Amino acid sequence: MKRLLFSLLLFAAVLPVRAEETLLMVRVNMKAADAMEVLKETIREYGYEVAHVQRCDGGMAEFDYKTDFYRVVFFGKLEEVRGILDAYPEMAPFLPLKIAVIAEEDQTVLASIDPVALSRLYGHSRVLRVQFARWHNDIQAILEEMRDFRKK
Amino acid sequence: MKRHLILLLLLCLLAPSLWAAPDGKALYEAHCSACHQSEGKGGIGLPLTGEILSQLSDDYIAKTIRNGRPGRIMPAFVALSDAQVKAILQYIRSWSNQPAPVYPKLAVKGDPAQGKPLYKKHCQRCHGADGSGEGTGTGVTLSREREFMVMPAALNNPGFQRSASDAMIADIIRRGRKVGGMPAFRKKLTDEQIGDVVAYVRTLKSPPPIRGMREWAGKPAYIMESPYSFEDTVQALRQALTGANFRIFPPRYLEQGLTDEFSVNKKQLGIRFCNFKELYHLLNIDPRMGTVLPCRINVLERNGKVLLVSPNVVEVARLFNNRELLEVAVIMEEIILGVMEEATL
Repeated sequence: MKRLLFSLLLFAAVLPVRAEETLLMVRVNMKAADAMEVLKETIREYGYEVAHVQRCDGGMAEFDYKTDFYRVVFFGKLEEVRGILDAYPEMAPFLPLKIAVIAEEDQTVLASIDPVALSRLYGHSRVLRVQFARWHNDIQAILEEMRDFRKK
Repeated sequence: MKRHLILLLLLCLLAPSLWAAPDGKALYEAHCSACHQSEGKGGIGLPLTGEILSQLSDDYIAKTIRNGRPGRIMPAFVALSDAQVKAILQYIRSWSNQPAPVYPKLAVKGDPAQGKPLYKKHCQRCHGADGSGEGTGTGVTLSREREFMVMPAALNNPGFQRSASDAMIADIIRRGRKVGGMPAFRKKLTDEQIGDVVAYVRTLKSPPPIRGMREWAGKPAYIMESPYSFEDTVQALRQALTGANFRIFPPRYLEQGLTDEFSVNKKQLGIRFCNFKELYHLLNIDPRMGTVLPCRINVLERNGKVLLVSPNVVEVARLFNNRELLEVAVIMEEIILGVMEEATL
């Protein structure tokens, strides 16, 4: 019975996953600088800490490359990051989690690697599969909130 | 009994999504708008303007959604039901209210041998000798420079070959396409010659798969053990990166920002580095690259061992479904492994 329940829970956790999409992306009807601020707030509402923001555009502009607003927001939960890195050091490149903030004129594209897509590389671990599904659901929900922000 | 109850409950939870009519607008916003923009203006993905849609049959669009374009960003939406694909199609068509073109399903008659020189003369400059499409990057840019506003179609792409009918290809050759800058050939080529070009296009072979180093294939990360102390390994890594012409950013602990500075694990350090020329090039190839930036090699001390850990750039590049990016990743793999080897020598 326990096994059945666990399977059902796992099934339910993975249910919204669209396996063919390896990146999670939304278009937000907001300028990029505003979208980034709302994104940081939304990430916090989901119980994550915003670790830092990488300014990719700043570096490129310094070298005279034409670029628009382009940032990467890093976020995570300390206990999750600590637990996963302790057991799986090969996860280090993917932690903390991140969402890219890409300006497209007055709109913004938010993009993140779908953690579930990493299952192909870490398929052996049930613990990771469940963790990937949780991250997927959280990132998907954060992005959907961002997409619907103006509709509230 | 309990088991039946749980299954029944689960079915009840799932049921609304099974019987409700799919909402094309909602599906488009969830799956398509990030790349194609809210009303098909185009972005990372192809514009879906009235002019373009007037040449694309429903069958072609549905097959394109299903097959995607392997190696050209557009994913294959295999999990969408037929009803969902139809709902997306109806929503896209509602923008222009123009009826969808219907093309005959019969193969166009033509001789590929006759079509080859015509292709070379009229098509190769934009579509490439092998049909894979010329130019930098994919899709429309809004913030960076590109050679084409709309990338010429990759005619040898298996997704295109499976989706496009002969008659549709012939029609596009005949009428051209303003948005992409493709000229109309109706006055330059006869119907017979157009048939020959279509027949030649059908012979174009999909490009061979790109592979990284065999020993790292399928692995999420490159991991090497260092014979040095944690501090010496960090120093050696910085030197190796400088030697490889990378600019190094201030290092960050992996837990930094997630906890206070006293609690952070100081034996998990990320060395971030960049070559801005390469970064600019990569962002032109695929603006979604930020999801894996910046380049970072991590130094971890674990159970008395010092490890260097970098993402397997070839495997990560595969997530983007962008062949051009994958080609660069194969070169990057060699550079990153070279740096890691030098740091652990």
